[in-house]
Amino acid sequence: MRGVQILVAVIFGFLLVTSCSEKQDFNQLDDLEITPTFETSIFYIKAQESLINRVSGLSFFSQDFNFDAFEEPFFAERVRSGVITYELENTTSKPIEIAFDFLDTNDTVLDTEVFQMDSAPTATIVRDVAYGNTGKNLDIIRNTTKIRLTARNLGDSNSTSSLPDPAVILRTSAKFTLELK
Amino acid sequence: MSLTKCLVLGCFLSISGILAQNKQVLYDFNEIPQSLLLNPGMEADFMWYAGVPLLSGISAYAGSNGISVNDIFADDGVDINVKVRERALGRLTPRDEFSVTVQLEYLNGGFRSSNPNIFYSFGGYLEMDNIAYWPQDYAALIFEGNADQRDREYDLGDLKSRGSMVNVLHFGINKMVDRNLTFGIRGKLYSGILDYSSTSNKGFLVNTVGKNNTLATTLDADMVLRTSGVQAFDEANDSGAPADAFIKRALFGGDLGVGVDVGFTYHLSDKTTITGSILDLGLMYHYNDSKSYSLRGRATVEGIEVDILEDFANLNRDFWQDLVDELETLVPFETDTKSYVTFRPTKLYGSLRYDFGGPLGRGRQFDCDCSASSAGGSTLRAKYRNSVGAQVYMINRPRGPQVAITGFYTRRIGNVLALKATYTADKFSYTNIGLGMNFQAGPVNLYLMADNLLSYQNIAASKYASFQLGMNIISWGRR
Repeated sequence: MRGVQILVAVIFGFLLVTSCSEKQDFNQLDDLEITPTFETSIFYIKAQESLINRVSGLSFFSQDFNFDAFEEPFFAERVRSGVITYELENTTSKPIEIAFDFLDTNDTVLDTEVFQMDSAPTATIVRDVAYGNTGKNLDIIRNTTKIRLTARNLGDSNSTSSLPDPAVILRTSAKFTLELK
Repeated sequence: MSLTKCLVLGCFLSISGILAQNKQVLYDFNEIPQSLLLNPGMEADFMWYAGVPLLSGISAYAGSNGISVNDIFADDGVDINVKVRERALGRLTPRDEFSVTVQLEYLNGGFRSSNPNIFYSFGGYLEMDNIAYWPQDYAALIFEGNADQRDREYDLGDLKSRGSMVNVLHFGINKMVDRNLTFGIRGKLYSGILDYSSTSNKGFLVNTVGKNNTLATTLDADMVLRTSGVQAFDEANDSGAPADAFIKRALFGGDLGVGVDVGFTYHLSDKTTITGSILDLGLMYHYNDSKSYSLRGRATVEGIEVDILEDFANLNRDFWQDLVDELETLVPFETDTKSYVTFRPTKLYGSLRYDFGGPLGRGRQFDCDCSASSAGGSTLRAKYRNSVGAQVYMINRPRGPQVAITGFYTRRIGNVLALKATYTADKFSYTNIGLGMNFQAGPVNLYLMADNLLSYQNIAASKYASFQLGMNIISWGRR
């Protein structure tokens, strides 16, 4: 039995002495950065010219929309930067102004994006608005719980564009970079 | 790196790879009783044997065919973010696996029947087995996100993993049918302690050009995660009695299963032998504390969509909440406690062996090993000093069978020492050299084996490591 014990000790001793490894640094994990950027559409709104003509007055539409996506803890705690892209298309016969307000829980306006477009034919307006880094304050995004959309007709209320299905269309999409680690 | 760190790293690698381990060094190593667990039809010449409890059979294996610890953690001055992106994200595919198997034998014994051609063996062991494949598209989403990846479908099927911890009780019969053929069968009862599997996921996530908005995001999911025993351990942990839960579930208080091993040895000639075995041909029925989670359905969203003309009468509704509710309806996340069945990871071994170099003993030509099963002159068979041959190993895995091919050489030095060297090629390594040693000091039997020995030069760079060791008391009766 003593011989067996000696043999085991010798074998393990041999393995201990002969096995080795290059120097490893597991503290490198602290330096690992996981910062994916996700992209998705966030808002689409369409107002037909027939509707605009039916409403009297300058402002033909104003509505608050609940928007909880930005205040979700997973997002709000990890977002580090982002870009919201607006695409505004006007195929109506009248110039249009659209205001896009970001509101917090107290209905305080945190930021506003205003778009003015001439009557058709006109090119689509595309605007990228950056947040974080050198862009606007990221807290605007983190604290937004509502979006107020206000649309104003800067032209007449009786003409109709000859283009098919004339309307004002606002498309928005966003790219946000999150810091997961 | 200090020896202690080497040892810790080595142990980690070893422990992490024990499940479903290819034990190519132990296979067909007839001097060692534990070989019967790899081939119940092995030629056993023992009168009886008893494994030393908890020391008779310990084995572990850890492997990753695509990446090593050294690839990421080497202290080489390269930014870890660069290494992760170049060596993991940029190189690994969903076929690259990370697997770990550990087997701890707590009882093993065997005895010869009054019919000397029949040998019975029995025992019990705990086995943990885990395998996960590199979830390539999930990793891409987590590390890079889906921005600027229009039309790229992120494959949800990349998530494929399963693992289990079972207690196995077994009883085997080994019968020498005639001088040339030995056949064996082993029945197994599995007591499932812990199980999880998520192996049949399908679907994708994709951004495409939207119909109305800039982008349309589509989720098409058919995903299931099945678990058993997790809640029991959670609750036991909360009440401070995880050991009780472990013992209860290990002793048939959890899930149940049955399985069978079969094997044979056949002598084509005096010196040429073929062997084969199929192990763990069985299934588990998970019914005690099972819980499944599923995500099934298809939804395409383009954000909040408001058509003022269409929605004019209902503009005050909560569009955001409606969108969330619609998503949850189309792609519901559900749980249930239905029982489920899993198949054990079935393994197959085969070998062709050629013996040479003269029979063992004191040099006499017909000095046979005079085994306990040698009933008479017609069954006497010489045991040779040298053996050389080839083995094949195959295991059923979630992404299909995994194969290893081994060449081996065995050298017996008297009845005291037997050494076996192997070379194995598989998806983990093409430079896998293994060594095994069986030492017999009177009735005390000790064996020790390890493979991928070349990797010991830099164990952190190894993609695979395993070992087996054990101690038995063996009797051959009167010789």
